[in-house]
Amino acid sequence: MKVGVRNIGHVAVVDLAGKITIGEGDVVLREKVNELFDGGQQHVLLNLEKVSYMDSAGIGELVACYKRAKEKGGTVKLLNPSGKVFDLLQLTKLEEVFETYRDEKEALVSF
Amino acid sequence: MASSTSLRLVLSSEVRLIDLIHQSAEKVAQLAGFDEDEALNIGLAVREGAINAIVHGNRSDPNLEVNITLRASDEGFSAHITDEGEGFDPDAAPDPTEEDNLLATSGRGMLLMRAFVDDIVYSRREARGMEVTMTKRRTTG
Repeated sequence: MKVGVRNIGHVAVVDLAGKITIGEGDVVLREKVNELFDGGQQHVLLNLEKVSYMDSAGIGELVACYKRAKEKGGTVKLLNPSGKVFDLLQLTKLEEVFETYRDEKEALVSF
Repeated sequence: MASSTSLRLVLSSEVRLIDLIHQSAEKVAQLAGFDEDEALNIGLAVREGAINAIVHGNRSDPNLEVNITLRASDEGFSAHITDEGEGFDPDAAPDPTEEDNLLATSGRGMLLMRAFVDDIVYSRREARGMEVTMTKRRTTG
């Protein structure tokens, strides 16, 4: 999985591309988000537009990111989950946990 | 198509092999006549079965084997997965969609499997470990 970060105002937009799966994408996601939190960032927007799918480990890592943000007094929100990723969020009822946006500008002002 | 085509994998319990299992399952599902999206779903179900066997069953011990048979037939797709671990009671697993469990960082694998195939049968092996059989029927008509 590929990952890039754009800092926009007080929000870090994390652009993810590929799949968030066990032993690979989940590790990349964990390391990048930990790096942001350790660097003092509190607000993270995960851009899932180019994520093709996740497995249970990847979904678990999304939840772990959310929990770590809460511990730091911050938030993790989601942007543009693709068809399969959106289906998985619905199936697991995590759409009830994560604030999810279709528009980046709208997402950024929500923090 | 011939009556059935099967692929048998005998694997050491290494996480890095899970992508190979997933890709194999997708290919065999396509041989069974499923379209790309359905084959991805079937691949995801088998992937979760493989994670259960390798990570939770065999605890990623490379000395323990996971056996997987993938089959395409006129009726559809099936996968049979065995491990050599302690075994578990699938009925005792908590529902990850219950409100109290939504923030759990694990425990969603069986939910995904149930969502993407028609039938799943879990049983304890006589020797040691679990065996799981999942099937996905082709809709006719």
